[in-house]
Amino acid sequence: MSDEPDEDLELTSALVPFFVITNGRSLPPEHAYGHTTLVSASEHAATTVRTLTPEARQVLDLVMDGFLSVAEVAAHTRLPLGVVRILLAEMEESGLIIARKPVPRAERVDREVLNAVLDGLRARFGA
Amino acid sequence: MIRDALVWCLVVVAALGVAAAVVLSRRAKAIAVNKDRSEAALTQRLSEADGRLATLRAELHQHRTDHAKTIQEAEEAAEDSTKAVLKGSARFLQSLAAEQLALLEEIQRKYGGHSVLGDLLEVGHANAQMARKAQGIAVMCGAPLGRRSRAASVYDVVRSAQGQIRNFRRVEIMQQTGFALKASAVSPVALAVAELLDNAASFSQQGSPIEVTFQRVQKNLCIVIDDAGVGMNDEERQKASALLSGQYRPRLSQLGNQPKFGFPVIGLLSQQYGFRVDVTGVSRYGGVRAVVLLPEELWTEEETAPVEEVQPVIEQPGIPTRPESVARTANGLPRRGARQVPIASVPDQDTVGLPHVTATEDAGRAAGRSLGAFQRGTLSGRNLSAAPSEGSDDT
Repeated sequence: MSDEPDEDLELTSALVPFFVITNGRSLPPEHAYGHTTLVSASEHAATTVRTLTPEARQVLDLVMDGFLSVAEVAAHTRLPLGVVRILLAEMEESGLIIARKPVPRAERVDREVLNAVLDGLRARFGA
Repeated sequence: MIRDALVWCLVVVAALGVAAAVVLSRRAKAIAVNKDRSEAALTQRLSEADGRLATLRAELHQHRTDHAKTIQEAEEAAEDSTKAVLKGSARFLQSLAAEQLALLEEIQRKYGGHSVLGDLLEVGHANAQMARKAQGIAVMCGAPLGRRSRAASVYDVVRSAQGQIRNFRRVEIMQQTGFALKASAVSPVALAVAELLDNAASFSQQGSPIEVTFQRVQKNLCIVIDDAGVGMNDEERQKASALLSGQYRPRLSQLGNQPKFGFPVIGLLSQQYGFRVDVTGVSRYGGVRAVVLLPEELWTEEETAPVEEVQPVIEQPGIPTRPESVARTANGLPRRGARQVPIASVPDQDTVGLPHVTATEDAGRAAGRSLGAFQRGTLSGRNLSAAPSEGSDDT
């Protein structure tokens, strides 16, 4: 083992580990808070800001003026997506934010109907 | 005649009596002289014996001190060599734990979107506890503490400490402060607070809260830790104070089978870095109130900027980086404007060159064009060999 007296050890990991930021909560269920779920601050959120952890406050600041997707929140806070999802779940539980499920993918139209329409159009306009 | 005879008799008797008296007094004198002589001899022997005894006593004392000194020296040598051996291993563990923490953080970022993150967070917790133990042993052996290069808010330092104990969810930080600890104080204060929190957690009931508050008292900043435990009796309190002030430094060998590092480590740290810790107070729950008193050299009043990480943003899978040309708000958020023009995903060949469609244009032609666009869209959609990610599940 090296015996240099003043070989300083520098701690490079984050001072506050992620599991403290999430306060040991577990991940919300798989389908909740997907990448594209939109979140926004609820109306009375601004009054509780002082009691929040810095991370929750940062998230709240981000979504204060409108809807932002979960993925965007994660990118802005530079926190792992899962950590952000845990935070969001906790914040929604305490009524600080509202989450809006992603707009469902454009309704699946029946392919056959479309084909029939196309065929009809072709027949009509002779394309 | 008879009278003469009587007188003679008396004379003889008197003479005999005188002679006897003389003889007796002589003997008495001789006895007294003898006695004096023997007494003098005895006293002399006694004083000689006393002298010998004194020298023997002195010798014994000398031997005893020599013996004690030798034992102490031997103990110190043993302590030093134990420390030296342990120090090496402790530093190894210490750097390994630090490395693991950094590595784990990277992994947690990498798999941030994966469900494995939940488990990784738990590994992180176990790791943080191990790192604390390694740091504690290192401090006991006189090795330097791992240092931090950046100042941090006291709040974050306490949260860092919180993460280093088992039941960290019991810890509630009741308020936030604008006070920041200087970089050099971050590690030692975090470790000291972690040891205090661990102590608070171990000596109070499961599930009872441990509250942390901050107070500024004159030129000192106090971190106050209240538990709802059973408190300490006077003897324990005295012992704790001696350990915490560094007055009493137990040897490694005195720490016992299940070594209690906490207070000795805090004692060493506080002496080394110039803060004070007191556990003699009584908390509002009747448990122990521990106070870490930080003199003004260790902290500043400046509000720390919200940690702006210097490291580049790690690109997360599935999150495309947005082009920087997007208008941004003061917070750096993309500004979402109301859409003014409908977005055509398929460029209209007729209008590509034209700046805009004039309003006077024939409505029928416009309708025809949009139908044409529809058709082109369908065709181009079918011709795409690799379907775009959105809506790609059919075909």
